Amino acid sequence: MSDFIEIDNLSVTFAAKGRQVQAVKNVSLSVGAKESFGLVGESGSGKSTILRAICGLAPISGGEIRIAGEKLTEKRAKNFVTRVQMVFQDPYASLHPRHTIDRTLSEPLAIHGIGNSDARVVRALEDVGLPSSFRFRYPHQLSGGQRQRVAIARALMLEPEILLLDEPTSALDASVQAEVLNLLNRLRDEHGLTFLMVSHDLAVIDHMCDRILVMQHGGAVEELARADLASANMKTDYARSLFAASANRMLETPPKETA
Amino acid sequence: MSLLEIENLRVTFETETGPVQAVRGVSFGLGRERLGIVGESGSGKTITGRSVLRLIRPPGRIEADRMVFDGIDLTTASEKQMRALRGPRLAMVMQDPKYSLNPVMRVGAQLMEGLLRRDRLGRAEARKKAIAALEAVQIRDPERVMEAWPHELSGGMGQRVMIAMMLIPEPDLLIADEPTSALDVTVQAEVMAILDNLVRERGMGLIFISHDLRLVAQFCDRVLVMYHGRIVEELAAGDLMNARHPYTQGLLNCLPKIGGSREPLPGLDRTGDWANV
Amino acid sequence: MTQSLFQWLSDPSPSSRAQARLGQAWLAWLRLKRNHLAMLGLAIIVLLCAMAAFAPLFATHDPFVQNLAQRLLPPGTPGHWLGTDDFGRDIWSRIVYGARITLYIVALVAVTAPVIGLLIGTVAGYFGGIVDTVLMRITDIFLAFPRLILALALVAVLGPGIVNAVLAIALTAWPPYARVARAETLTVRNSDYIAAVRLQGAGAGRIIWGHVMPMCLPSVIIRVTLDMAGVILIAAGLGFLGLGVQPPLPEWGLMISSGRKFLFEQWWVATMPGLAIFAVSLGFNLLGDGLRDVLDPRSASR
Repeated sequence: MSDFIEIDNLSVTFAAKGRQVQAVKNVSLSVGAKESFGLVGESGSGKSTILRAICGLAPISGGEIRIAGEKLTEKRAKNFVTRVQMVFQDPYASLHPRHTIDRTLSEPLAIHGIGNSDARVVRALEDVGLPSSFRFRYPHQLSGGQRQRVAIARALMLEPEILLLDEPTSALDASVQAEVLNLLNRLRDEHGLTFLMVSHDLAVIDHMCDRILVMQHGGAVEELARADLASANMKTDYARSLFAASANRMLETPPKETA
Repeated sequence: MSLLEIENLRVTFETETGPVQAVRGVSFGLGRERLGIVGESGSGKTITGRSVLRLIRPPGRIEADRMVFDGIDLTTASEKQMRALRGPRLAMVMQDPKYSLNPVMRVGAQLMEGLLRRDRLGRAEARKKAIAALEAVQIRDPERVMEAWPHELSGGMGQRVMIAMMLIPEPDLLIADEPTSALDVTVQAEVMAILDNLVRERGMGLIFISHDLRLVAQFCDRVLVMYHGRIVEELAAGDLMNARHPYTQGLLNCLPKIGGSREPLPGLDRTGDWANV
Repeated sequence: MTQSLFQWLSDPSPSSRAQARLGQAWLAWLRLKRNHLAMLGLAIIVLLCAMAAFAPLFATHDPFVQNLAQRLLPPGTPGHWLGTDDFGRDIWSRIVYGARITLYIVALVAVTAPVIGLLIGTVAGYFGGIVDTVLMRITDIFLAFPRLILALALVAVLGPGIVNAVLAIALTAWPPYARVARAETLTVRNSDYIAAVRLQGAGAGRIIWGHVMPMCLPSVIIRVTLDMAGVILIAAGLGFLGLGVQPPLPEWGLMISSGRKFLFEQWWVATMPGLAIFAVSLGFNLLGDGLRDVLDPRSASR
């Protein structure tokens, strides 16, 4: 089987104050190597929880997740972190406010005893398009887009094969979003990455992903290929209503842009 | 008749490194219509909205050649006069309902507070009015929502409650600062439709502040595009796609589109002369 | 030369780790400098340190030499500007030498109690569950005793003396720090940046030490400076009750205790060391308030 990430009947249940909240209900999906897969849904649909379950930040209460054929166990295998990394939604919350960019980027190297950290940090900054003069700045001296670049650089420090992207651009301005999406696409080509991306913005998902899973209330609603989305070829009502709400994100052809 | 007129509005913040101008000479007029203000973060759009209510705290400073709301000069109005204006005549809806509702008061009590204190209505009548307001924003079971705590409401519900609360005194001008950015797209459409309806029916003026060009174009009559504390372009909403200014064009082009090509998205070119005004 | 140093410190894109750190410290100092009351507090504490370090230069007499011919002289007497006590010892000189003892106690408590509290608080907050319950109940037990009574009991068991007094104070002073650190840890624990470093395979030790503690440190440091006044008072209290520093050492609390007998006739014997305690406590409090504005991450956004 060539599928790189396989999720089989995954359920995630949180116990909150004696109540059981099922955030993800029996969701299955599979992502091929170097593919880019999108999860779409509204808040509370469980799309982010799937990402968090993969990397162990949420408990797997049913079903299983396999990465390259290896089943994930309660305690993640040692090579897991060098294989899967995550980029978080809010670049203002995902960088340690009291660590310099240098410390943030060299921390994974220190954890894994990888030497030559100076050169690697400089190269990582270059890779995400930040000048090396940013190396010893603190996060509060950076703009949102620059912080998200740092977060991406950090995720790539251990040279993972899979990048989990949790709404990586929803906190950013439109023009900065374009830059970050371009950066992610370039890095995917250069590093041969597999993306599993969560977003509420159908246009962003359409731009980035080959296949899409629509989710609602923790369950999978419908899987769509990219062509289905553009031609509004959905089977379920929910997917159609989601699409209709994003109608103003369709490709328009303003007179100036027809080139 | 013009409801609000602003000429050469400037907002300056004193910082350690000297004064920073967040709004640098903004002028516009508003009738009983829907005006959109669009811009990226830091463009001064929120501060412009807050200045109308004079809600800028020191070290911020508001200056304007003219700022008149329905014949009242806002630049010289006393703080007491401003308090009388805020609410009954000028209302504001903020981005996140989570931070705008008092978490330790039931929704109903918050809705009725103004009616009881300001309008000196009886409890029964205030309650009736509050429920009517909730119905106006299409909340299905207003009785239950009246008894709910703010944390029990979803984002869309909370934002509707906020809008209902702002609309109870029937203001003449509503300033909505990114009222739907924290909401899901389907909810967003509903909330916008509610706002739209209310403006039409009651003949209010609406200033709709957002970073989302397309949303603004859909719901407003006129759009102001702000960059770096200035208005760079003013457009009728229908003409948005024919925007002249390179910044507006850049904002439109850098958005990914469903069914668009997979080419790298065009970035916003900030090297033109316009960027250094 | 100094101009270029300032430029180097406020460079927005520092070129080394040290420069980045010094630059941040420099910014913090600039912010602290704008707070005049905090600067007054800092001046008092610097003066105390200088007095302790160069006590022989400040003192006019030997603090231990008794001169019964000159006992209980009032302030303003030539040669004894703060007067003398019941053994004819110069009060000013004793206050100067007493600064050493006060500083010694303050310093020892400051390096022990917050460290214990920080460790227990962050560990409890980070792991949660049973670890949290056990550690926090222990903290509660310590908090339930009035501090002075607990210190008294400990000294009574260990025997009076300066080291035992410090030990007793430190053992009673850590629970508030543990509480503060735990509260701070709970807000930090679920943040994305901690999740990110966990995803990179960092162990609990590294996360607590390198990522959680730096976030708790400011509130603990502020708490320490605010508590220092209390520590001085407890040390003085123990001295006053004869359970701390033993005579003839010139500890301020002990001096007040010995002056108690003639409080109405010779008021200065107890008042002068009391004023010293007051001034130093005030200094620490003012500095603590100023530090809160500088270090607290919540107010730093301004």
